[in-house]
Amino acid sequence: MQCSFCEWRCELSADSHGVCRMYYVDREEIRERFPNRWSYAVSRVESLPFYHAYPGSRSLTIGTTGCNFKCRYCSNAYIALQDPDTLKEHIYSMTPEELVGMAQKLNCHNIVFNVNEPTVSLPALLKLREIAQKAGLPMGCLTNGYGTEESTELLASIFDFINVGLKGFTSKFYREYIGVKKADPILRNIRRLAGIRHVEVTTPVIQDVNDCELDEIAKFLASIDPEIPWHIFRLLPEYEMKGAEYPSIELISLALESARKKLRYVYFHNFVGSDWVNTACPGCGMEVIERLSLGCGGDKLDYFHCQDNQCPKCGNGIKMYGGYVPPLKERMGTA
Amino acid sequence: MSLAIVDAREWQNLLDLRTGKKTQDERSQTLMLRSILKRHPYPGDVDILSNRWVTDTALDLIDAYEPQLACVVYAHQYFAGRYTPMAEEQRKTMIEDVFSEIGRLTEKSGFTPVIVGSGDMVELAGEIDLSKVDGIAISSHWSARYAGLHRASARDLDYVTSNSAIERVVRRDEWISLFPGTSYQAERIPEYLLVAREGWTFVTTGTPIRKCLRIPGESFRIPISTTLGEAASITEIRALIHAHITKQKIALIIVEGLGVRDFLMPHVPCVNKVDWHYYEPGDGLYLTISTGAHQVFAHPSGYEYHDENDAKREYPFSGYFLDIPQHALASDFPGKSIAVGNHSMFVHTIFGADICMECFARNLYNQGCLGVIHRFK
Repeated sequence: MQCSFCEWRCELSADSHGVCRMYYVDREEIRERFPNRWSYAVSRVESLPFYHAYPGSRSLTIGTTGCNFKCRYCSNAYIALQDPDTLKEHIYSMTPEELVGMAQKLNCHNIVFNVNEPTVSLPALLKLREIAQKAGLPMGCLTNGYGTEESTELLASIFDFINVGLKGFTSKFYREYIGVKKADPILRNIRRLAGIRHVEVTTPVIQDVNDCELDEIAKFLASIDPEIPWHIFRLLPEYEMKGAEYPSIELISLALESARKKLRYVYFHNFVGSDWVNTACPGCGMEVIERLSLGCGGDKLDYFHCQDNQCPKCGNGIKMYGGYVPPLKERMGTA
Repeated sequence: MSLAIVDAREWQNLLDLRTGKKTQDERSQTLMLRSILKRHPYPGDVDILSNRWVTDTALDLIDAYEPQLACVVYAHQYFAGRYTPMAEEQRKTMIEDVFSEIGRLTEKSGFTPVIVGSGDMVELAGEIDLSKVDGIAISSHWSARYAGLHRASARDLDYVTSNSAIERVVRRDEWISLFPGTSYQAERIPEYLLVAREGWTFVTTGTPIRKCLRIPGESFRIPISTTLGEAASITEIRALIHAHITKQKIALIIVEGLGVRDFLMPHVPCVNKVDWHYYEPGDGLYLTISTGAHQVFAHPSGYEYHDENDAKREYPFSGYFLDIPQHALASDFPGKSIAVGNHSMFVHTIFGADICMECFARNLYNQGCLGVIHRFK
């Protein structure tokens, strides 16, 4: 039976679990091998990163195991690329109700799937969505965008805000570094998702490999919507590329000058102390949102100057999904 | 104002450590630290060259700044031992390597060492899953032995008291009675502190996803090796150093992940406990050594750290530290001091040295280095 969750479209059977190793066939139905097995943690939404969705909010970040990509530089290889069967005992067995209960106990404003690829666990996420929605918890995710058209619709029905990893622009890059044949489905899905959901895009830069594609990516995103926030990540090579040179911050920053003319919200981070994490008003240039880049400690909101998502100086609207969420202590009056 | 230089490899930024805001400074001490940071890119916590980086960097800084007091941390064997599968022979070589680095440091610098092992590691026996409790269980900051239980139900208490892998369930008041603490600190202490049996660790909110292979073991006593004299308890190490520092250059060297069993130098056991409580290799141990007073409640085991993590706060680049501890070993010493190490966050916060240099890594992800200047001399 052919899987329709991602563009690998693997042939599945009772014993054949596809590239992601997360599905099997039982009585003519595709089922999850490890439903309701989750990891969870607490994070700031800026760390994930979402810079234009519920700024300042606390997220319950969740993940499962398995991935349909094999990125040569994967930073979560110890969980995303291991055989899920060997990991199932190391992550929590939790029902959707328990997971939502955990988010509430930890005073999280939203739930964000961010450890591995959500396409490998869509049925469980669909159930989680039902319970989270009843509890009033918005859901977001990070995805590699390699879903089929039908599963992309499903993804959009589950998640309110989505960060798509656009790791390069050419199929050549995707073949050599990601292990899939084509970039086209990802571009197609970004276009679709950006039309129906809040979308931010993240591109990890590998110097001398995909930095030459940055301008093309900027043009592509601008052709969809110049207000799509774009995060350029300085790649910290892990897994097979551990030991590779860290990209030059100066060179990448220079290369992004052209992108900044095409897109209104361009950020360059994933390194400690970055100067390129604040949001400038597209109208007057005032810095309306200040953030701190704590490197692998995640990013953090520092000052939010645009109440009602408007620039206080010129009144220009700042693209934002949801409003500012003050820290818990501030909300409880104990700050 | 304390200055922070973040070095993300081939790129540096100068910040005010307290506010995290960009700043400017061209004084010679700042230029010197910038240059040393540039010369010593950090190889990573589990990289075999990690401890060599500590020695090389410390020697460079000693050469440039000529301090009287150096605080040095070697932590590679702790991080690698925790997560990297290795044969016994390989582990022995790793331990020999760290002592060889210590030898190189003391020989080349001429400093008199005070070497303290933070405690042995043992193989993981099992995990205590607390994800199903009605309250909230939190095991903070890589702790293995301790977890906090907040807003516990009767069912939760039944579960934890009947779990054979949990050695002790300690009520807040019982815990506080062991140590002096302020009322603010008392508020952050969990209602119950759960204490695991040796070899067991908790799986809770805050536990890293990465699977542990070895964890800190029982460490009621930890090894200390020095020719300066006797320190029967970890609270006496500071006084021992202060008593001799005007007469000779001293290096306090903390060696993580090694206790009385694996320590390869002549040593005496040093008390690392109060009653049933012993310090794991964390900020409590470091702060107690540095200040000479027990420091359990600065970041109490199992506290709800996430409530502080997303709030507006100072010292954003100092991890979970909300301030720089006062009355530290080096800040109370008028002479020149440095601190260098590969346990990020602790080096620039705990010792109070004039100039500090540490790796900037979180959960083993290597982002570069952090240099801090607390004072100009």
